[in-house]
Amino acid sequence: MLLQGTDLQILTQPLLRFDMRSSVLDWLGIILKRDLIIAFRRSSTYITPLVFFLIVITFFPLALGPQESLLSSLAPGVIWIAALLASLLAVESIFSEDFRDGSLDDFFVSLEPSFILVFAKVMVHWLITGLPILIASSLAAIILYLPLESFVPMILSLLLGTSFMSLLGALGAALSLGKSAILSAIIVLPFSIPTLLMGTSVVTFSLNNQDYSGFLMMMGAMLAIGIPMLCLLTVEALLLNYD
Amino acid sequence: MLPNLKVENLSCVRSEKAIFKNLNFEVLPGQNIEIIGSNGSGKTTLLRTLLGLINKEEGIINWLDEDNNFNEYRTFDCFYQGHQMGIKNMLTVFENLKLTHNAKGMNEEDINKCLERVGLYKINEMASDLSVGQKKRISIARWLLKDFKIYFIDEPFSALDDPASDLIKEIINELNLKGSSFVITGHRSSNINATLIEI
Amino acid sequence: MGSPPLFYRWSSKIIPWLGILAIIFLTLGLFWGLLIAPTDYKQGDVYRILYVHVPSAILGQSIFMFMAACGLINVVWRAKISGMMLKSAAPIGMSFTLIALVTGSVWGKPTWGTWWVWDARLTSTLILLFIYAALIGLYSSIDDKTKADRAVSILSIVGLAIIPVIKKSVDWWQTLHQPSTFTLTSSPSMSPEMYQPLLLCVIGFYLIFAFTLTLNLRNEVIDRERSKNWVKQIFVN
Repeated sequence: MLLQGTDLQILTQPLLRFDMRSSVLDWLGIILKRDLIIAFRRSSTYITPLVFFLIVITFFPLALGPQESLLSSLAPGVIWIAALLASLLAVESIFSEDFRDGSLDDFFVSLEPSFILVFAKVMVHWLITGLPILIASSLAAIILYLPLESFVPMILSLLLGTSFMSLLGALGAALSLGKSAILSAIIVLPFSIPTLLMGTSVVTFSLNNQDYSGFLMMMGAMLAIGIPMLCLLTVEALLLNYD
Repeated sequence: MLPNLKVENLSCVRSEKAIFKNLNFEVLPGQNIEIIGSNGSGKTTLLRTLLGLINKEEGIINWLDEDNNFNEYRTFDCFYQGHQMGIKNMLTVFENLKLTHNAKGMNEEDINKCLERVGLYKINEMASDLSVGQKKRISIARWLLKDFKIYFIDEPFSALDDPASDLIKEIINELNLKGSSFVITGHRSSNINATLIEI
Repeated sequence: MGSPPLFYRWSSKIIPWLGILAIIFLTLGLFWGLLIAPTDYKQGDVYRILYVHVPSAILGQSIFMFMAACGLINVVWRAKISGMMLKSAAPIGMSFTLIALVTGSVWGKPTWGTWWVWDARLTSTLILLFIYAALIGLYSSIDDKTKADRAVSILSIVGLAIIPVIKKSVDWWQTLHQPSTFTLTSSPSMSPEMYQPLLLCVIGFYLIFAFTLTLNLRNEVIDRERSKNWVKQIFVN
């Protein structure tokens, strides 16, 4: 009742446009397939964040010295900071190309739910940045002498954390569409602090043989709330660019 | 016959000055509307407002639904093509058609037919190797993927050679006979069979 | 109040009252706090910076809540005035947060012995400052003002959702790294003679916020409506 007089695009358009003739999964699949094909043909999209991540990791032993005890105690923070920065590196490209060449107009004009469009875009971004980082993080853990027992918590926390970063990054990209790439990073970074704190805590706790499951649950909760909320706000932010 | 789209008293104000005011028109099946105006007269804004990408300020935009009622919300697919054509350089000609939501459930032969109709035969060539004119042909092939009720095309005739504009006119005629309508914009009349609206 | 000319006329009446009330409360509160209230037996007179530090820290946070509420109203109901409020409140909130940080660090030097301690409160205030900076940075990057309002509104809603998480996670992080830090500003340990002037100061700071917000908002309204007739009438006569 309260919302009847509203002008909220997310309420009036995509949800009412929602059309049962076509299944949502088809729509999701088309965008995923299209964007993944483009990403694989242009290999820089998934190699750049990966290389950036590994270079940043390498810088720490070079700057701090190669002592094993020092590096292994710093490893959780170092890996997390590098992962955070690397996943924000390509954030600006999530929507910019589709916006420039007009595909985004086409998506919004179709009767398909735009929430799914944003969700698919976030998934693609995670698959081309988050996933390579996840794989490379084991390599980073080895060169920073992180004990083997901490590998699983590190991977789990990065899995949840980088997904959340992709979501946040999509919102930042939508808000700063057509502006400098660094702006979207600056918008997003303060909001990524809880992820950083909890992610590093998971790994540090596992180093001290403490129970870290609480942090993982908290990160999972943030992801669960973040997917609907951030995707809807991103739709709103994208539509702003047409006004 | 009922119009698919009815626009009454539509106005748009951008940064304190009116871009267009009190527009009234109806889009009947099989008939075209041509919106003529100079640069900056708000042609693109008008198309985007009609399609709900921009919130309208005043006026009524009514769409026909299956039960012959007029609603503020559209229940049928429309085709929109802005200045940019949405062609992905990193996809082949075929994929540029196949990987759009409009081609959902279509088989390879149907898509090839669309491409042949506009004179594109090398379907496995990358779009980045094509000329601008050929890319334009891909975008025209997309019109044929489905029978849309209304096509909203922003300046279809700009920067085209004669064979290409003839092709567009032919296709518009064909689709008109199937009951589709076109709402197109341009700087001057393009000699297609259409109601002119100057803004 | 939603319509700009109405707001303008209404605010001209209310501004002097807000100003006078703010001056009364602040003079009373600061006079009482800085000169009359008893000296702290542990810290001496240094603690008196609390009469500036605590109100500005409270304001820094509550202005953010205010902005997020404006943002929500702006996104859902598209009330233009709420977008302008959000924009006018942001620099005030950021200034209060900055004042809280600077006074906190000045206070820390004699009591903790350093200018900066990674204490949970200080850290989350610093993060709040960054969030303010992100909002203002986003605002200034978009030329169209209504569009900028809506973009900042969307971001402030995310801020509203994430600030409790930030506070909680900073608390955990802090207990993980520094098991024992004494807190200075918990109210139960304060005597009523110290607490009452603080209350006056907090009210005074809220009044100052209301005063500057109304002034900022008037400027914003005039700036955006400058081509309208009612604005011309005011300034021509």
